[in-house]
Amino acid sequence: MSKRLKSLPLSYKVSGIFIMANLFIFLVDIMLLVGINSMSVEMEETYRENRHLNELLDAIEGVQRAMTEYLDSKSTDSLSDYYISEQKYSELASQLQTQISSKTDDRMERNISYMSEDYLKKVALTIEAKRGRNVEKYRIQYEEASRLYEYIRSYIRSLNAEQFISNSIRYNSLSEDFRRFEFFAFVVMVVVFFASAFIIIRITRMLIYPLQALAKSADEVADGNLDAELPKISNNDETGRLTAAFAKMMVSIREYIERVRESMEKERQMQEKELMMETHLKDAQLKYLRAQINPHFLFNTLNAGAQLAMMEGADRTYEYVQTVADFFRYNVKKQDELVSIENEVDLVDNYIRILNVRFSGDIHYDRQTDKRLMKLKMPGMILQPIVENAVNHGIREMGDKGHIQLKVFKDEDRVYISVKDNGKGMSREDIDKLLGGEWKYEEKKGDSNGIGMDNVIARLKLFSERDDVIDIVSEGEGKGTEVIINLPYETEE
Amino acid sequence: MRSRMPLYMGITFFCAAAILSVAFMFLRLNRVKSQEEENAHIYDRYYAMICDDDASSFWQHVYKGAAEAAEAHNVYVELFGANLNVDFSTDELMEMAISSGVDGIMVLGSGSTEMSRLIDNAVEQGIPVVTMYSDNDESKRCSFVGVSAFNMGREYGRQIISAWEEKLRLNPDAEDTQGAPAKVTVFFDDNNLLYDQSVILSGINDTLSREAGEGEFAVKTVAVDNSNPFSVEESIRDILMDEEVSDILVCLSELDTTCTYQAVIDYNMVGSVYILGYYDSEKILNAISRNVVFSSLAVDTSELGRYCVNALEEYLDTGNTSQYFSADVTLIDRSNVAQYLENGGDGDE
Repeated sequence: MSKRLKSLPLSYKVSGIFIMANLFIFLVDIMLLVGINSMSVEMEETYRENRHLNELLDAIEGVQRAMTEYLDSKSTDSLSDYYISEQKYSELASQLQTQISSKTDDRMERNISYMSEDYLKKVALTIEAKRGRNVEKYRIQYEEASRLYEYIRSYIRSLNAEQFISNSIRYNSLSEDFRRFEFFAFVVMVVVFFASAFIIIRITRMLIYPLQALAKSADEVADGNLDAELPKISNNDETGRLTAAFAKMMVSIREYIERVRESMEKERQMQEKELMMETHLKDAQLKYLRAQINPHFLFNTLNAGAQLAMMEGADRTYEYVQTVADFFRYNVKKQDELVSIENEVDLVDNYIRILNVRFSGDIHYDRQTDKRLMKLKMPGMILQPIVENAVNHGIREMGDKGHIQLKVFKDEDRVYISVKDNGKGMSREDIDKLLGGEWKYEEKKGDSNGIGMDNVIARLKLFSERDDVIDIVSEGEGKGTEVIINLPYETEE
Repeated sequence: MRSRMPLYMGITFFCAAAILSVAFMFLRLNRVKSQEEENAHIYDRYYAMICDDDASSFWQHVYKGAAEAAEAHNVYVELFGANLNVDFSTDELMEMAISSGVDGIMVLGSGSTEMSRLIDNAVEQGIPVVTMYSDNDESKRCSFVGVSAFNMGREYGRQIISAWEEKLRLNPDAEDTQGAPAKVTVFFDDNNLLYDQSVILSGINDTLSREAGEGEFAVKTVAVDNSNPFSVEESIRDILMDEEVSDILVCLSELDTTCTYQAVIDYNMVGSVYILGYYDSEKILNAISRNVVFSSLAVDTSELGRYCVNALEEYLDTGNTSQYFSADVTLIDRSNVAQYLENGGDGDE
């Protein structure tokens, strides 16, 4: 029952409340009306007896008048009048009480009734005597009848007065009751009004409560709290359905937001990668540029130096200065794009050549490259810093015993570039530090082009999107170091 | 969702309160109605009691005695004519009672032939009649309930003697007490001479002649004008204004007694005039206790009424009853007046 009630539509419920409240008031009104009606009927009845007695009095006067007239004139009219009034009077008298009651009024009615009977008998005798023209008899009968007539009249009047008094008392008490009833009815109406108002308010609140709770949750959601507690569904009506729909909507919104967030995260990561690559490159360029003063001036100067050396016939000087000029030109030209492995290897050749001039052939440089791989692309400014690192940290103090080997080879689908020295080697911790990006490049060294190993490793990782793009192998102190870069083998590139 | 219990309780309470109070209102109205109807009691027989003055306390008490006795037999006695707003004579009331077909009539006899005719008329129509207090002995009445007037006279005689003795004792030197006979006046009803007043006088005379010396008392009767409601008082004052005021005044009715003692007080005759009264109303009892009235004789009124009812009942039940019933007469003087006052007077013993 309760469940069925709960699943009724809201409009039925609201109408139901108002119909119930009206019905309640209507019932009470009906009861009050019935009460008022019964009282007014009783009040109407109060003087009924008086009216009856007045009728009785009129009737007996009619009988007496008709009799007297008949005695006077003996007209048929008066005789018929007599019959009519006699009939009427006996009818009225027959309604009177005839029991010996303890109530004075009843006894008086009884006496009137008996006397009336007697009176009518005497009147009949009088009329009869008149018809028989028995003068003496009808005169005596008439006197007796008249006396009785007076007695009855007196009786009726007394009874009338008596009843009027008692009826008035009753009427007064009735009207007092009526007034009390009026007050009572007023009180009942007031109580009913407040009661129905109370009930309507309570029930309406009960019906509206889920909506209010829902509105509260909706406000919370609107304020940004997507985890706001949703009201429980207790009714199966519109509010219940609305609550359920709202709950479902909330779940959908959360899922949608989660998805959007994930895709945004991905995009952000991508952007970050691109940005970082660019940053590192820019960083390398900046450092390089900072190390040179107007490269064109330098190239021109170096070219001028080379021409001078050629004119003087100093071929080795000419070659050296040309090499240096090429080295720096490469640096200026090939910064922001992918370059071929060949370009990088050439740069290493130039660099070693310059160093050997500077250090008069100390470094033994050995190159083994697969010509098929030389056109593959890779980020610029990678190999030279690695070689520079091997020279500076590996073989600088070895004099003419230092040896650097550069290898480019292919294994299955990957291309390996290896730079190996026979210098003092690296400890495992240093290798891990360097590969983990924790090794910071220090700018103090004067023989550097300003690009540190950390920059190289970071750019390689960004380019290849894998951590194992570069590996450093050292078998311990004094046993040299090998840096191995592996790149995907992509033809046509 | 909050608990609905208080709501349901509220609804139930208000409905119940409204319905209960309306129901209570109806019940109350109906109860008032039914009470009115319950009060009416139906009797088997209906007797009419007819007297000359239905308002007097004497007849009221007779009526009360009769009504009480009748109640036991489920008979209603009505003081006939008391409810009418026209004063009818006893003859007229008698006619009405006959015409009303009552079951029995008790009437104050008047000795008149008209009353006798009416009584006969009633008996002819099957209504037994009892005369009370005074008789119509030539009629066909079934019984007479009265007071023994002769005994009453003798009692008055004895009271006259003791009153005279007291007066002599209290005023031994009074001039008028020496030698001359004591003057005694008996007030008689003027126009409607009751049958037994002369019997009372005979009783008085009988006692005085027997118990007192010859010529010691001079008894005379004076007729009191009873023709209209206020004439008694005037008449008595006239008598008292006479030069020769009697030593002892004998009153044979309640009204005479009351009027006489009031006049005696007004004319400052207390102590010189002795009043022998009649009846035991509160006024008279008070007068006795204050020594204004020497003593009073009272008829046992309720007994009188009771005898009337019993006579009618017996006649109706058996067709016969005793011709004569006599109600007791009691003497009230200073020695026992306190007891009567305690009982509230008016014949309640």
